[in-house]
Amino acid sequence: MWELLRRNPKFISGAVVLGVIVMFGVIGPMFTRDPTYRRLPISQPPNNDFILGTTGQGQDVFAQLCTGIRNSLIVGLLSGGLGTLIAILFGALGAYKGGLTDEISNFITNIVMVFPVFQALIILAYVLESRSLILVGLLIAATGWPWAARCIRSQVLSLKEREFINLARMSGMRSIETAVKEVLPNMFAYILMVFVLLSGGAIIAEAGISMLGLGPDPNNNVTLGSMLYNCMNYYSPYSRWTYLWWWYLPPGIVLTMLLSSTFVMHAGMDEVFNPRLRRV
Amino acid sequence: MLKGLFAQPYVKFVAKKAVFYAIVIIVAITFVFLISRCMPGSPLRRWLAGIAHQQGPGGQNIEVIKKALEEHFGLDKPLFEQYINFWRQLFAGNLGLSFAHYPVPVVKLVLQRLPYTLGLVVPVLLISFFLGNWIGAKAAYVGGKRSELIYFFSVFSNQLPTFWFAMILLFLLTTQVRLFPFVGAYSSWVVPLEVRWSWAAFSDLLWHYCLPFLALFIVYLGGWATGMRSMVTHEMDSGYVRYSDQLGFRKSKSMSYAKRNAILPQFTGLNLYLSALIGETTVIEVVFGWPGLGRLMYEGVLENDYPLIFGGFLVSIFVVILGNFLVDILYGFIDPRIRIGQGR
Repeated sequence: MWELLRRNPKFISGAVVLGVIVMFGVIGPMFTRDPTYRRLPISQPPNNDFILGTTGQGQDVFAQLCTGIRNSLIVGLLSGGLGTLIAILFGALGAYKGGLTDEISNFITNIVMVFPVFQALIILAYVLESRSLILVGLLIAATGWPWAARCIRSQVLSLKEREFINLARMSGMRSIETAVKEVLPNMFAYILMVFVLLSGGAIIAEAGISMLGLGPDPNNNVTLGSMLYNCMNYYSPYSRWTYLWWWYLPPGIVLTMLLSSTFVMHAGMDEVFNPRLRRV
Repeated sequence: MLKGLFAQPYVKFVAKKAVFYAIVIIVAITFVFLISRCMPGSPLRRWLAGIAHQQGPGGQNIEVIKKALEEHFGLDKPLFEQYINFWRQLFAGNLGLSFAHYPVPVVKLVLQRLPYTLGLVVPVLLISFFLGNWIGAKAAYVGGKRSELIYFFSVFSNQLPTFWFAMILLFLLTTQVRLFPFVGAYSSWVVPLEVRWSWAAFSDLLWHYCLPFLALFIVYLGGWATGMRSMVTHEMDSGYVRYSDQLGFRKSKSMSYAKRNAILPQFTGLNLYLSALIGETTVIEVVFGWPGLGRLMYEGVLENDYPLIFGGFLVSIFVVILGNFLVDILYGFIDPRIRIGQGR
């Protein structure tokens, strides 16, 4: 399986792009200026001193970008991971147990699914006055999982009918044990794919909510979304924010590359793990 | 007679969905109520802090104002009584009075903004659905290099963050090329449509409408095209298409069967896309200064106007749920398995 994955061009190209962005996020903040330091000359276009110029508030765009990538990745990993766990809980448990458990978990999934999540996030963010990065990550995790739970549910339903599960049950394995030892390992690839997509979705959701200034406090936390927020709300008597292209182009380009790379990786994984698509 | 009606599988299906969405609405409203009442301190706190700030030291006693306001809004009663009251008010079509625009009822503000949001969401969803699925099916049908190219572009456009794409559009089409107006729904010299109807105002609105529409439309178009292409590719690989090919059916004939089967899962996607679209429209409205429901909620947040925020939220929930219900009804109609009562 992993051999096939390593030879899949889609997966590899996605992973390489993602890897480069992650490097910027992990190593970048160690070498750049303090991203929140505001005393630099304002609104400088890219030049030798400032690779990507400075913001209208006198901050280094490149430093902000690196820290923003790091913070967006933190939100993505946190709420992607947590969201995956919730999705497994609601998707797999119900399908596996059946009966009332299934009814309840299905019902909850359906309710959260039709809930206008973004609006709920606005309300929650408004109610909670001081918002940290972690808190926003948790909120996104709590609202983004329903489609994943559905996918996992259908996967478990089909897996449940296979012979080796029945065999495990007949040999007297407890149902929790069967679930952990027999069902989950077979779901691993699938869960990994869900995790990748959920993380990508969480990163964009954070950027969207930060864009309204309702993400992590935009004065203390630099995220890709808060950069766009600060740029769009920058008021100057001399020029509109649209002229400061070096401020708002980079975060968006990085966001698009992040999302595209996770999508392409997902498509590559799908080709390898999904027997209907596998090309050997 | 009524019993006979409910024995029909399609009616039963619709009734079941209606009950489900009614429950969702009840859950949502309870959620809104609890959040608004369990806010740290009181829902009035931020508002009062604003008043205290304006008055500065030596102003009126804040506690007195707080008491009076709590009595006025019925916040001093027990929680359960407040909850019942909340429902009663809702059924009377009363969402309370806005703080910032006191004493304008929230309902009035919301209804004024609702057409702007619907005018954006509904056309984007429908046109991108039809055009995107057409492009996706075409791409799968054509195959080869051109198909890959279409796939690449639709994936790319679907991965664009809408709000950033909106900023790019503003940069390119209002700053570099002065083709479209910068923000807002009307030019400053035009009387808005809700005040007085005129062709001049309408054409001005359309001119302002182009960019927000494009920003959402292009991204969603890519989403539908990507999905449809892979669905049709799956179908074309399946037994019945291969068989009909070998029987010597014309390619367009067997494709029409494949398309019919591929469109069903796409149709269920409408539900997911609708919820997502309502959310993204909020940000787009803020970027373009488009006076819709999302922008209203955003203004409410800026002005600490909690009746406005919650009113806007309730109405957007209602819109999403109504949309979902319509999609489900249509789905039941299109899918013969549900119409006749076979299958799930």
